[in-house]
Order: sequence, then structure tokens, then C-alpha cells
Amino acid sequence: MADVLIRTAGITKDYGNKVKTRVLFGIDLEFCAGEFTVMLGASGSGKSTLLNILGALDRSTEGDVFVNNTNLNSLDDDGLALFRNQTMGFIFQSHFLLPQFTVLENVLIPHMIYADRVNPTIEKRALELLDMVGISHRRDNRANAISGGEQQRAAIARALINRPRIILADEPTGNLDTANTEKVFSLLQSINREFKTTFIMVTHNSELAQRSDRYLVMSDGRILEDKYLNVKCLE
Amino acid sequence: MNTISFEWLLARRFLTENKGQTSIIVLGIAIGVAVMVFLTALIDGLQANLIQNTVGRSPHIVISSEENAAADALKTFDGEKVLLIDASQKTMRPIVEWRSLTNSLTGDSRIETVLPVVEGAGLIRHGQVNRSILLKGFDIRNGDRIYDISDSIIAGSQNVQEGAVLLGKDLAADLGVSAGEPIQLELSGREPLTVMIDGVFDLGVSSINQRWLIMDQRKAAALLGKGDRISTIEMQVYDVLEAENLAREWGTRLPDYQVKSWQESNASLLAALRSQSSSSYTIQVFVLLAVILGMASVLAISAVQKSKQIGILKAIGIRTGSVSRVFLYQGLVLGVAGTGLGFTMGLLMSQLFVVLAEQEYTLLVKPATAAIIISATVLASALSAYLPARQVSKIDPIEVIRNG
Repeated sequence: MADVLIRTAGITKDYGNKVKTRVLFGIDLEFCAGEFTVMLGASGSGKSTLLNILGALDRSTEGDVFVNNTNLNSLDDDGLALFRNQTMGFIFQSHFLLPQFTVLENVLIPHMIYADRVNPTIEKRALELLDMVGISHRRDNRANAISGGEQQRAAIARALINRPRIILADEPTGNLDTANTEKVFSLLQSINREFKTTFIMVTHNSELAQRSDRYLVMSDGRILEDKYLNVKCLE
Repeated sequence: MNTISFEWLLARRFLTENKGQTSIIVLGIAIGVAVMVFLTALIDGLQANLIQNTVGRSPHIVISSEENAAADALKTFDGEKVLLIDASQKTMRPIVEWRSLTNSLTGDSRIETVLPVVEGAGLIRHGQVNRSILLKGFDIRNGDRIYDISDSIIAGSQNVQEGAVLLGKDLAADLGVSAGEPIQLELSGREPLTVMIDGVFDLGVSSINQRWLIMDQRKAAALLGKGDRISTIEMQVYDVLEAENLAREWGTRLPDYQVKSWQESNASLLAALRSQSSSSYTIQVFVLLAVILGMASVLAISAVQKSKQIGILKAIGIRTGSVSRVFLYQGLVLGVAGTGLGFTMGLLMSQLFVVLAEQEYTLLVKPATAAIIISATVLASALSAYLPARQVSKIDPIEVIRNG
């Protein structure tokens, strides 16, 4: 199959040293480039754990994750850090912006981590992203001096700055009201369409699942349902 | 936007975020540095003062030409032939080629003053009183540069003329003479002669005030029957503490002469100064240690406080080495700021001490000592970042993300 960006092979995850608790049981999945996938499931079903393993934030106990044909298990910690910086964008339930920096600086941080300094080109891009998420008027505010919805949108702009191929979002609307949820989800969908960015989003909101390309339902560490609403993979 | 590197930017933001905490640690370092500077200034100032008092108005190096009193030839001692020399019986051999010697010594840029001296023992009679004296003959103008005689005249004309005869204060008092009065001078193997006293001096050293009779070199040489020969060459050098090395160097170049530095004659003083210095160093090492521990703990606490943000940064791709460097830079900035402030405080404390305690000596901060204190503190500050740097390397981004 062409165009497969992420492939997992028999991923398991155990927690605990003496008493081991298995939270993922042999997950085999493929995600295609440009696909917008929503992962549903009850709390503790293992969806966030799976997302973290896909995002190279956590390592699987067994099994491999291939992103762009690179086995993440072959990378050391610094290699994984660079991989996360270059290939992945993260949006979490909490915005996780750094309060010591302004909104604009927060957006630029993933770039600065990699390139150290800011040049006019990247600053322009950051401003465009802030414009796109609708908070360019907040560029010079400290990250803790703006509203929750604005913070989440700043976090989205930050996730996009390095032009990642994949964005992993863990309940990005979990802390937002209905109006802001709609704004943020529409924004993610437009990014998906415009930049062909691959999205994997964890949520409790089944309504959002109906508006995605594909949704997965997880239960007790296994994939219960895997349904395509809009097939983007080239067979 | 920013011209500095991201690691520096992050270090700066972490430091300025909690200004109270940053100020306290800077002040802590500053107090440590101030104590070190003050202590050093006090000890060094005191020592410089002691050395100045000891050698300020005396030659730092003396070249003489001694020979041992004629040995009683070889004697048999337990079957071995031994050359018996009585070391206390030394006689001064006059220096004949003193002009060329003086010239080459003057050519040494480390030597400040070269003073050829004629000297000999004698006796002064005045009325019923006899006193043994040391007749010192040298060029008074040149001699001023070592003994500062012109400023030490307490009776007679301050404007000391060439050829003037000057008597020590205590000696004059013992004899009951003053400027403008004659004395009877007896030198060994010579007829007694009458000499007019032109002035009385107080050099502040009782052994000199009690024994010295100073006059012009040629006059003294004539009275002592030395012709164109001298007894010793006295010198002052620019760096008092280097006198010993300089004396050793010239000693090898002039094997026929004895070259003696002030250090050789003041060994016990030097030993006392050295032990004073080492106790001061010990205190300073412990002060530095306290500064390091204080700073390490504050940085470690800061690392804990920032663990959430560090976790986020790790999640979005910062490398562990990079985060460790952020703490290293924080340590450096704190160290430089604390050292700068502490240095100023130390200098002020020193000045205040001089004024309030009405000390006669000035406190001294040598550039070399200052450089050592500064570099040691800054280095220590960087080292104290080691603990927090190790801590942050253990922060797992997943923990931060999972626990929000």
C-alpha cells in the first residue's frame, strides 16, 4: 500500500515493575498521509498511551512503530527528540505554553529548539499562523495572560511552526466550551485540508468522530472498531 | 526578534521570572565574594604594610665581599683531615672594581637604587661618654632613595649638603650632642680627629639611631683609609618580594661576592606571613564552598519548579544536553552578577574598615588575587549547575503530559 505514513506492528505496553499491568495488546495499525483520524474510547482504554507511543513520547514494551519507514525503536533519546521536533506537532488538553514567553515566542519555540535563532522568514510564518488561528492581536501578550481558547489556538500555531507531517492531538477541546470546541475543531480540519497534515486526535466527543476521515474505538487496550468515513489511502 | 541563542534566552527568562529568588542568590554569592575580597585585602594590606615597615627604609639586597678569617689550616680530627673555619670570624674585603659593578647593577631594570657604601667601626668620645659607632659613607642624595634621610633630619638644616656629617638620634642623645657641635671620632689604626655634627636624623629604627654616623662616601673612605674602595653595595628593588630571586641570580653572576636579600635576614617574619596567608586561603576555600552549596541548592529547587516547562520543552524536541546547558548558563549569569556585586561590596567594606577602624595601613587588592577570586567564583557557579543539570536530565516528558 502506498502512502502509509505510520505503521505499528504488534504494539504492547506494560506498566509497573513488580506487578505488570498491560494497557495495550498487540496493536497493528496503519495511518495514511493526510488522513484525519479520531480515536474514541472510555478513560483508561489506552488511547492516550497509544497516541504517546505513536508520537515518540513513550516507548512500547513490545512491537515497533514505523514512521516514514523509520523504526522509532532504532532512535536514541536525542534522536527521538529531533524526530518529535521535526516530524510531529503536539496539541494537548492543557495548552502547555511557557508562561515566561510571549504568544509569538511560544509559537517560535519548536523552531528555536532546532535552529537556535529566529530569522525574519520564520517570524513571518509565525505571524501568519497566529493570524490563521485568529490571535495575531495577542502576539506580544504573555502566554498566561490570554484566555483558555486563545491559549489552545496558540498551542495549535506552535504545533504547526516546523511544518510537521503529523499532528497528534490529545483531547484538544477537552477544556473548551461548545463554541470554542467548534472553532478549534474547524481550525484543525482546515489545517488538515490546507497543509495535508496527518491528524490523529483523541477525544471523548463522538460527534467530532463523525466529521473525520476515520475513527477508531478503543476498549481495554484493543481496537474495537476501525471505520473509514472517507478513504484517503491509495490502494 | 532575538539575537541570542535559545538556550541563553531560556536561561534569561527562567532567571527573570522569579526576580526575588534570583536577587537572593546573587546577594548570597555577593556576600561570599565580598568576604573573600575583604579578607584578602586585609591580609595583603597588612602584609604589605609589615614588609614596608621591615624593608621600606633599608636595602633589599646587599652585596659584600666577605672572606673567612684565616683558617687555622688543616687539623687532624679522628684521623680525618678537617679544615676548621670559624664562621663568625668574617672580615669584610673591600670592593675594588665597584664602579663597573655599580654600572652593571644599574643596568638591571628590576633594580631601583644602587648605592655604593663605605663602612667601618669606630668610637665617638664626647666629654665622659664613649659610644661605639658604625661609620656609613655614601652619596647622601642617592642614599635618600633608600633611607630618606633628608626627610628624617630632626636637628640641623633639612637641606642636607654634600659632605654633611649626620648622627643618629639616640646616639646624639646618649652623647649629649646636637647639630653644630663637635665630637671626637676614633677609627681603628687612625689618629683621633674632631668632626662637626651638621645634623641629627631619626630613621625610626633604633639600631640605626643608636649606632650610625653618616657622611659622604669619599670622606668616609679617606677617614677609614680605604682609598677608592668601598665595603658594600646596597640596593632597593621594585618588587620587594622578588628580592630573594634577584639576589640568587646576581649571586651566581658574581661568585666572588656575597649577595644577600632581606628575606634571608627576616626568615621568621616571612614564615609568619606565609602561615597567615594559608589560614586566609583556608577560610576563603570554605566561603567558596558555602557559596557553591547555596547556589547549587537554589538552582536545584529552580529545576524542580521548572520541571513542567522542561517536560513540555522535551516533548517538543529539546535535547537533554541543551536543558543542562540552560542551567549552566543560569549558574554562570548568577556567578558573574554575584561576583561583580560582591567585588564592589568587598572594596567598599575595605574602605569603610580603613576609615572606621582608623587603620594606618591601606587595604590592598592585588590584581592577581582579584583574578583568582573572580575566576574561582565564576567557575564554582558553573559547577554548581551540575546538580540541577543532572536533575533535569531525569525529567520524563510523558510524566508531565500525563499529569497535566
